[in-house]
Amino acid sequence: MAEVYRVEAPYRGAYRLERLTFGSGTPTVAVVGGLHGNELNGLHTCNILAGLLSHVRLQGTVHIFPAVNVFGMDQGMKRWPFDDRDINKAFPGNPEGSVVERIAYALLEASDADVCIDVHSASPLMRELPQVRVPLSGREVELGRAMDLPVVWRRAGERLDPTGLVGAWRQQGKAALHVLGGRGATLDVGDSRTMAQGIMRLLDHLGILPVPTDTGNTLVDTTKAHVSYTYGSVGGFWVPEVRTGDRVKPGHLLGKITEVIGGGPLEEFRAEREGVVVTMRTYPVVHARELLVRVADPVDK
Amino acid sequence: MSSLLTVICSAGMPTGERVDIVRRRFSNGEGPRVSLVAGVRGDTPEGIRVAHIVASHLQEHHDKISGVVDIYPCVNPLAAHRGIRRWPFFDQDLNRRFPGRVGAHAPDQVAARMVEDLQGTDQLIEVRGAHSAFTEALQAQVRDTDHEAADLARHSNVEVVWARTPGPAAPSTLVYQFPRSIVLEGGTGNRLTTGVAESLANGVLNILNVRGVLPDEALPFHWAGVARPRVVRDDQVFRLRAEVGGLFLPLIRPWAPVEKGQTIGEVVDPIGGRLLEEIFSPETGRVLALREQPVVLPGTMVARVVSGGEDG
Repeated sequence: MAEVYRVEAPYRGAYRLERLTFGSGTPTVAVVGGLHGNELNGLHTCNILAGLLSHVRLQGTVHIFPAVNVFGMDQGMKRWPFDDRDINKAFPGNPEGSVVERIAYALLEASDADVCIDVHSASPLMRELPQVRVPLSGREVELGRAMDLPVVWRRAGERLDPTGLVGAWRQQGKAALHVLGGRGATLDVGDSRTMAQGIMRLLDHLGILPVPTDTGNTLVDTTKAHVSYTYGSVGGFWVPEVRTGDRVKPGHLLGKITEVIGGGPLEEFRAEREGVVVTMRTYPVVHARELLVRVADPVDK
Repeated sequence: MSSLLTVICSAGMPTGERVDIVRRRFSNGEGPRVSLVAGVRGDTPEGIRVAHIVASHLQEHHDKISGVVDIYPCVNPLAAHRGIRRWPFFDQDLNRRFPGRVGAHAPDQVAARMVEDLQGTDQLIEVRGAHSAFTEALQAQVRDTDHEAADLARHSNVEVVWARTPGPAAPSTLVYQFPRSIVLEGGTGNRLTTGVAESLANGVLNILNVRGVLPDEALPFHWAGVARPRVVRDDQVFRLRAEVGGLFLPLIRPWAPVEKGQTIGEVVDPIGGRLLEEIFSPETGRVLALREQPVVLPGTMVARVVSGGEDG
């Protein structure tokens, strides 16, 4: 473990950006977790990956940054707690700027690699089926598919904003992948394991692993045109009837919004298409026009 | 004659409560339409106080108005209720959601509804307080390329007009949606300071006078007493940062004159109080903003200094 950046902090120990490195030579891969302090599946994915990589001799280099926003993690906060700023909006950073800009700069410098992966959870309000988000075309599509995660989502403009880490990597000409799964502020062990296995398959695809990995199970390989978004028209208490990964057919009951007091019915939601539930609202108190469910076309439709 | 109070948007809570965003309209005769918006963020009560003072004055002089003055006293009421910057629950900075989106969640809807309601306004003025960790001199901010706004902002009774180059987040702010917009701010973050809102309110009333909405005799002051600030650009505004963590102790007050190399504050060890760093002014000028919240990390901005003389 190497400390790649350090900031002394009043009233507490120093902030340290730690990097785990496995193997040597090329190709190189960087995996970042915990950019948001309350998205712990990214942290756990990195730690599972570190455990797996410590037992093999690699033909290339893997750098892992399990926890970038450790101060946020200590306090269960997404953003940097000192000034409530989002490190993932501070790229490409500035070595002479504010502390989050300095951390962003140091991370971008230290994560210099051929292929870069930023691992997140969904927000604490939502749950996402483990997925890789890539642009509509280009090398990232091939790399994302090699992960064989449950969902490959090709999105227009995916993370092109250079103030985010994935966008900043892309500005530097790197192949950058955005991986997320599970729910924020909790630990989803199975989803974390799925994402770690997906990264192992990518390492295999890149020729870094000396032994082949098992195959995954991609349920969805889609663009936005093949995803149904369900929003509530009223606020209330959301009671889901399906879970992420479930297969549904048109008319299948997805969930209901009921009255907060008394539980009387307000709105009912049914699937518009045959598909796989990739996104679910988990926090039950909902406001009007919030996203509740996403259902995407399955690969075997 | 009384103003017209209109609910322009109503956000429903899951528990059934409704939170209203209101507009108070003062209208009389022919003339331009000026819109005053406050409380886009919930930790800027000084702006809300400005809206109160201006509304109170217009109520008294309603029959002398030529045109329309729309006052939106608090656009983000749930955040103001808690004294926090962002729209709660969604944890969204409303001033990063413009132009908003119809049919989306409440912050986006409010942003969209505000943009819709402000269509046709001749002059938008947004009033804020300082950033929550700072005390700031009274200032107007305009877009660097908007010379018309800069000229008008010189009548807003502030110490300085800052013609800023828009940053990456600017397109998602309220004022970016409308040409000639002026932002007025000053005072201490999340606090009301005696005299600050009154000065900014006088600036708003003076702008109404310059725009022909209020006659001289309806002003609560003589126009000759209004401050005539100079216009500065980004290269005249210097951000001073701490290079060590600790407690920042200011040794000067906002808008105090400073010489190049003068100490404006110190960073001391938070446990023993030992001096760790002195912060020097890089230029001769004035202190535009000063950190009030003392805990700093390396890189934390502790002050802004605007360079140059008084008549630049």
